[in-house]
Amino acid sequence: MPASLLARRAAVYVALGLAVAIVAFPLVWMTLSALKTNAEVINPAAPPWPAAPRWSNIGRALSQAPFGRWYLNTAVFGVAATAGQLITGLLAGYAFALLDFPFKRTLFLLALSGLMVPFSAIIVPMSELLGALGWLNTYQGLIVPNVASALGAFLFRQFFLGTPRELGEAARLDGASELRVFLRVYAPLARPVIAALAIILFLQNWNNFLFPLIVVNTTDMAVLSQGLSVFRSQFTTDYNLIMAASLIAVVPVLLLAVTAQRHIIEGITLGALD
Amino acid sequence: MTSAARTTRRALPYRIGGRRGPGEARTGGGRGTRTLAYAFVAPTVVLTVVFSLVPLGMLLWRSLHGGGVFDLEPRFVGLDNYTAMLAEGGGQALGVTAVYTAGFVVLTMGAGLGLALLLNSRAPGVARLRAPFVVPLVVPVVATALIWANMFAPRFGVVNRVLAALGLPQADILSAPGPALLAVLTFGAWQFFGQNVILYVAALKSVPRDVLDAAAVDGAGAWRRFRHVQWPLTRRHTLLIWVVTTLTGLQTFTQIYVLTQGGPDGATSTALYYVYDQGFVQFDTGRANAMGVALFLLSLLVTVVQLWLVGRSGRAR
Repeated sequence: MPASLLARRAAVYVALGLAVAIVAFPLVWMTLSALKTNAEVINPAAPPWPAAPRWSNIGRALSQAPFGRWYLNTAVFGVAATAGQLITGLLAGYAFALLDFPFKRTLFLLALSGLMVPFSAIIVPMSELLGALGWLNTYQGLIVPNVASALGAFLFRQFFLGTPRELGEAARLDGASELRVFLRVYAPLARPVIAALAIILFLQNWNNFLFPLIVVNTTDMAVLSQGLSVFRSQFTTDYNLIMAASLIAVVPVLLLAVTAQRHIIEGITLGALD
Repeated sequence: MTSAARTTRRALPYRIGGRRGPGEARTGGGRGTRTLAYAFVAPTVVLTVVFSLVPLGMLLWRSLHGGGVFDLEPRFVGLDNYTAMLAEGGGQALGVTAVYTAGFVVLTMGAGLGLALLLNSRAPGVARLRAPFVVPLVVPVVATALIWANMFAPRFGVVNRVLAALGLPQADILSAPGPALLAVLTFGAWQFFGQNVILYVAALKSVPRDVLDAAAVDGAGAWRRFRHVQWPLTRRHTLLIWVVTTLTGLQTFTQIYVLTQGGPDGATSTALYYVYDQGFVQFDTGRANAMGVALFLLSLLVTVVQLWLVGRSGRAR
């Protein structure tokens, strides 16, 4: 191996190592701070690592706020919204790709219009609408508006446009009903797309902050992200506890990310480049 | 995704709507099929109409009418809400959004492309280094925002510790307009740049190795290979990545909500934070809705580019 190539490889490793360090640093800092006494956190002369790691901080943070309830709310919202997005997207995508019916074009454009209206722009009318429905501070208020995913429908349609039509034809000739053709022939083909989308949609729902903020304003209906924000406003100067609370919120997602990183990468690519 | 599906898909032109192209079999057009098709599309269409189009209509209508939440007699006021919005901090918020989004696009796309090129190198073990860049993308923004707030804290925050160690003056970063915006931008870019790393890795993978090798044999160095092979062949990916990045930048909210609440003096109040603040804190829905319309139009501009791209050339791979 020539020296120039060695030098170039070394530079690649150094640059990537630096980038990974930039990614990791805040999370490492959070962990170190979560295990310190508050006096250690606010003393600029103290070393970056705790003198004696205080794991009890995590228990203290947990006991100071209804984290269990917040986790439950987030799980209910995350699972229900994700399942809804996948099912409605799968059904609509299939029909738009492989079935013929009157007004298909109009209905598709209506579904597609969901891609054009970012939720951010309509937060005020959305809260009025949910208020009029009496859905503020309810699970249905959190879930139902998030069930339809224009992006999901669009991606499933793209996928089904690429599946061989002969499969369905063969099944129909054998006398299978339309529903059976979908359930037995086409839906199983979409498994890889479902897997890639499931994880990324779930993470988006799990971490959604703005939507719950508009719909929920009671502590017992709050999702985890809101709960953290409330926790911080209550324990303004207990920096070690705030970091312990962040740790409680980050670790489970981190474990999921590590185990499912392939699916996450696939899902991100699918959502943006297709 | 199976490779079979991928190849078939590449051969399919992209079309909107239901006209059959040549070679497309007719599905059963009987009543049973129709009922099934309507049942299949109904949830998506109905929910999109109720929870996207209805609120959008409300937004447009309310932006042209006077009266706050407690005003029962809405009256047409033309563009008054818009002029009030622009005069009362909305103009500043649009400016902040422009600066923030521009910085966000440059930082995250630059870092994404640079790191993807490194990850694309043939050095052993490098491919596995993609994973860490996923992490900031998937951890809750509120949690990381609390960490960054801690790092930017005056005196004991890690940034000030570094400044002190370098013998530089200490600063209350989040209380000074310029530094606060820079701090929010740094955090926003940290949270998101991994997505552009992943997308650019995928984009560079689509460049055929033999083309690159041929260029190398012809004596093209790394820069010329990038300039004349990789960059032109990934132009479409770059546009799509720009779309997603811009939409994300335009709709930055949580970072600002946690770190600065739009302060000091509106220096970090982006368009979306302004909508939230006016609508849910100050209860001035007129101004909030006027800014909502502005945000909608800005996003629409970007989305149109995306749809035009997707429509022009079926698929990215």
